[in-house]
Amino acid sequence: MKITDSLSCILKRVGKLTKQYSNLPDSYIKRTAEQVEYTAPKMIQYLPYQRKRRTQDFRFTTNRPWTQEFKRENEGLPRSEVFIEPIKDWSIFRGDRVEILVGRDKGKHGIVSQIFEERNWVIVNGMNWYYRRIGESDDYPGTIIRQELPLLVTTEVSLVDPSDNKITKVVWRYTEDGEKVRVSSRTGRIIPVPAAANETYDYKVKSAYLEGDKDTKSDVVEKVTFQPELKTFDMDVMKSMGIEEDRTPKKSYWY
Amino acid sequence: MGKKNFRSIFIGNKRGSRIYKETRIKDPDYISDIPVYTDVKPIGYRYGKEYRVIPEMIPDIIVPDLTDCPLKPYVSYRANVAVQEEFTAKTLFSFVYEEKIKKDFANQKLDASSLPLEPSDAESLSSETAYLEARKTGSDIFSERIPRHWECLELKSDK
Repeated sequence: MKITDSLSCILKRVGKLTKQYSNLPDSYIKRTAEQVEYTAPKMIQYLPYQRKRRTQDFRFTTNRPWTQEFKRENEGLPRSEVFIEPIKDWSIFRGDRVEILVGRDKGKHGIVSQIFEERNWVIVNGMNWYYRRIGESDDYPGTIIRQELPLLVTTEVSLVDPSDNKITKVVWRYTEDGEKVRVSSRTGRIIPVPAAANETYDYKVKSAYLEGDKDTKSDVVEKVTFQPELKTFDMDVMKSMGIEEDRTPKKSYWY
Repeated sequence: MGKKNFRSIFIGNKRGSRIYKETRIKDPDYISDIPVYTDVKPIGYRYGKEYRVIPEMIPDIIVPDLTDCPLKPYVSYRANVAVQEEFTAKTLFSFVYEEKIKKDFANQKLDASSLPLEPSDAESLSSETAYLEARKTGSDIFSERIPRHWECLELKSDK
């Protein structure tokens, strides 16, 4: 998938894991996340020109970039820039067991449920929550729910080594088979990437995907129906339509 | 009308049905200096005041019968979409002719000048028939441009 705009494209800032989980095409994310104010008409008199919100003026939140909430949060005057530590090798995935290092739930273990790579955030299920009211109106006080707050991957959360259930730093190494794995730097044990990391919005496992009405079935797709024949395109069409050419062209001579 | 910054006025999508465009033109806020461009191809010509429709110019969209068609707009995630290698002339040769000639060579069915003793239909084609076939319906010698001799110098070699 090509990111056609060279520099100013919000698509470059969207995290890989975000895109992987959503199963949405790049063109859709770009189209919905970008706030194009004006595009020059596609006529010969006009140079290609677009006036849109600058990529650096977008602040990523817990709302995904293609949502309406994200658009509302990124309207009007741009907010001050949030500095994000660039992480070379992202090591925490969905379904990982992590320990929380700060806050009320310090020392507790939890399972990662959401990843926000653009802000170096993870949401640990049931941890670091706060009470919130939803559906509040003039006569109804609203329902109180618990909402988890995101935690920073670099400082507030740490992976747990399954062998001794203690926190550890992790490095990426290659096995003898050439597989890239996470290795605990303290114990040297491989921490396997959980199965939930390959989950997407549409399926938990690819083989468990429920095919819809508009989906071509997998056996139809995998069937090889191409039969190579020594025929030109025209001949192939003639064969399938049953066109027979029985006229003989007249001989031409060169003098 | 006064000076207006036309670039900042959002005209919107210039496509729409004929009726929509007509109502827009009649709209009091319509700016006549900026025309309503249509992307629709003409189906006739203007002769004075009237517009004469030529039926042959009306596009005829042919859609095949899609009942019981197993192919749908989307592909299931379950499908293992394999990467196929490039279909070259060499692949076509191996599909069409390789087997026969290997078999003939193994069973000594080739004569002294390597011509087959039991030729297939394609092998027994004479030059006159080939000449005629190349001029009948189905040949592609007329559709492609013949490259000039200097253009053939950079032909890619099939490895």
